Amino acid sequence: MKTSEILTTICKVLFPFVLSYGLYVIINGHISPGGGFQGGAILATAILINYLIGIHIVEDVGLLVKVEKYTFIVIMLLAFVSLFTRGELFTNFFSIQSSILQKRIFLILMNFFIGIKVATGLIAIFSTFIEEGE
Amino acid sequence: MIKKILVLLMLFTILVFFMITISDFNINTYTKDYLLENGYKETGSQNLITAVYLDYRLYDSIFEAGVLLVTVSGIIFMSKKDDEVL
Repeated sequence: MKTSEILTTICKVLFPFVLSYGLYVIINGHISPGGGFQGGAILATAILINYLIGIHIVEDVGLLVKVEKYTFIVIMLLAFVSLFTRGELFTNFFSIQSSILQKRIFLILMNFFIGIKVATGLIAIFSTFIEEGE
Repeated sequence: MIKKILVLLMLFTILVFFMITISDFNINTYTKDYLLENGYKETGSQNLITAVYLDYRLYDSIFEAGVLLVTVSGIIFMSKKDDEVL
């Protein structure tokens, strides 16, 4: 497949900006609009840009699925911690009287792991499709 | 031709029902007032959507992530050949 030089250059310039924008959306999910799911989709788009210009970043899809599985287990464990500290299932593990900065630790951690999980899942889906197409 | 007219009629009916539903929708509920008053204090999140999906309704988010995991597993299972099993 032949791609034009303008497209190649623009995609190479755009790649780090899209990556950093996705990380920004994930980390600032509790302040500004956004969050783990949306930021993960933006991160996956940054990888998808490279397939447009013929660069194959993803070598092993099995590794991506493994990362996604372990991240899901970490999310479940983080959500289960509140059963021991607060007595309720699936909520923040700091008590309700603690300060706002402490509560934000949980939000940032949760958004971060959900972002990684969604990004690896979407990358695994479309890299499988691209491998099948070739 | 008659198929296109039927499809258009169905779409129009859906649109009308959708508009009727939206105009009947009551947004001045107790939950909205509660979230506006206590959402920031109880969860520490300025974005109230994050307050809902990471604190009040965290189990929904967890199973949403689980649905994505099942989707990825299914797609990879269907794309693999018989001789290379994960």
